[in-house]
Amino acid sequence: MSTLVLDNGANFAKIGYSHEKVSVIPNGQFRSKTSRLKTFTASQLDEIKDPSGLFYILPFQKGYLVNWDVQRKVWDHLFGKDMFKVDFADTNIVITEPYFNFSSIQDTMNEILFEEYQFQSALRINAGSLSAHQYFHENNSELCCIVVDSSFSFTHIVPYCRGRKMKEGICRINVGGKLLTNHLKEIISYRQLHVMDETYVINQVKEDVCYVSQDFYKDMEIAQLKGEDNTVMRDYVLPDFSSIKKGFCKPREEMNFTGKYKTAEQILRLTNERFAVPEMLFHPSDIGIQEMGIPEALVNSINNMPEEMQPHFYKNIVLTGGNTLFPGFRDRVYTEVRALAPVEYQVSVVLPQNPICYPWEGGKLLAENPDFEEMVVTREDYEENGHYVCEEKFDI
Amino acid sequence: SCKSSCSSHSDILSSSVRSQDPNQRRVLDSATRQRRLTRQLEALEKDNFQDDPHASLPQLVKRLPQFDESNESGKRRKKTRGDHFKQRFRKNFQTLLEEEDLSVSEGPNYLTACAEPSKFPLRHFCALCGLPSNYTCVSCGARYCCVRCLGTHHETRCLKWTV
Repeated sequence: MSTLVLDNGANFAKIGYSHEKVSVIPNGQFRSKTSRLKTFTASQLDEIKDPSGLFYILPFQKGYLVNWDVQRKVWDHLFGKDMFKVDFADTNIVITEPYFNFSSIQDTMNEILFEEYQFQSALRINAGSLSAHQYFHENNSELCCIVVDSSFSFTHIVPYCRGRKMKEGICRINVGGKLLTNHLKEIISYRQLHVMDETYVINQVKEDVCYVSQDFYKDMEIAQLKGEDNTVMRDYVLPDFSSIKKGFCKPREEMNFTGKYKTAEQILRLTNERFAVPEMLFHPSDIGIQEMGIPEALVNSINNMPEEMQPHFYKNIVLTGGNTLFPGFRDRVYTEVRALAPVEYQVSVVLPQNPICYPWEGGKLLAENPDFEEMVVTREDYEENGHYVCEEKFDI
Repeated sequence: SCKSSCSSHSDILSSSVRSQDPNQRRVLDSATRQRRLTRQLEALEKDNFQDDPHASLPQLVKRLPQFDESNESGKRRKKTRGDHFKQRFRKNFQTLLEEEDLSVSEGPNYLTACAEPSKFPLRHFCALCGLPSNYTCVSCGARYCCVRCLGTHHETRCLKWTV
């Protein structure tokens, strides 16, 4: 009997057997302008030589799994002979779902897992709960932690106490990596070059050049300077997928501060965009989304918790999700929370070594837990008792 | 230098739309501006801004089996793959949210979990260059930081740019 751990994200599926390592695989299907007849599924994305104008077919909308046709095609590929070769009758699955997942989606998930794929047993859980499980294992004297999951679709802030999530404290900010990339596409298209169709390329630009500012107004001033004094400015060479396969930043020695470049390369000049885009995680109102940013929401969440627990939450803030990889993210969250928190409380913000796979690692740990057998719902259980037994056992 | 900046000022003003009769220039009201902003925010949720490359393919080509399907063994073809299930498996987010009927539920739910507005003052940035902005375009409400940016905005984007 083996256990497959699947952190089923809106952008990436983090998947692997609990006794092996994790793989990070795109959770969707893709179509390319050049290979016009084929639809590429999940890891087949690597086969696309020219991802310009790449067309995305994703099972998730606004962070919730709505398109089962596409999801099943991805899972067929992941569970099939090209990848994990799952022997369903002999496999448990630990699979993640978003917070407050709709009951209709949960029911469909039960059907797909038990009636279609026929897994021997399943455990459905929030990814943040797996992160909390991992955190408490690494810090076993702590009773409370607050998990920040800032990923593709949105950002959730969730307090956990003794392993249970505190529902009243769950806060959702509707800013995620997808929104950051789309916003970057829009401002580049408005100011420099039409890139609205180039999600794949601009997402790479975002990951390569964007960072979180520690002093927003100071960086703004520097970004306005001319020539070499503008230490924020970067020139990004866009890929053409023939001679330049992957985009890159020009090293500062090669940058032309005064005139135009003589070469045939397409170049994006980025200044305040570099830090203004990730800034939306801290000030969603910059773009017109009337919601708090991450530090304010963290403090707000903690203030809604019982007073005796509050210092424990401030001491155990855990950052997970792809957006936490922006350089400077952790330090900025710390500085802002420190400024807002009561001075007598200790503030500690932890960024794990791999924030994208942290929930998966928690899932692996859970699969090895001696109580694991009692947490799952077996296929026999489900066939006898239906959705009810899943509603009882799983805390989504 | 004051003289030279004044002359360039008037150059911009004379070539820009501001010198036109204000009654001729369309001004959007706040409801329209709000609608535009909502549309802009919704556009940020899109997966694709271009059309599906397969959309224009002839029907025959679309039915070509993919490798995954042709290699499936017989026992995998369960009832849940039948056509009558397809509609249920493809509802959009808004429909699913409405079906959940959260207005009658008690306790925390998807809607109550949404973050509240910030207590901190708003900041505004020039739509043209991204620097902090103190001024708003009279016609469409777009933010700008200086007369040069406003000139470019009027010439190229005012009431013309949509995602």
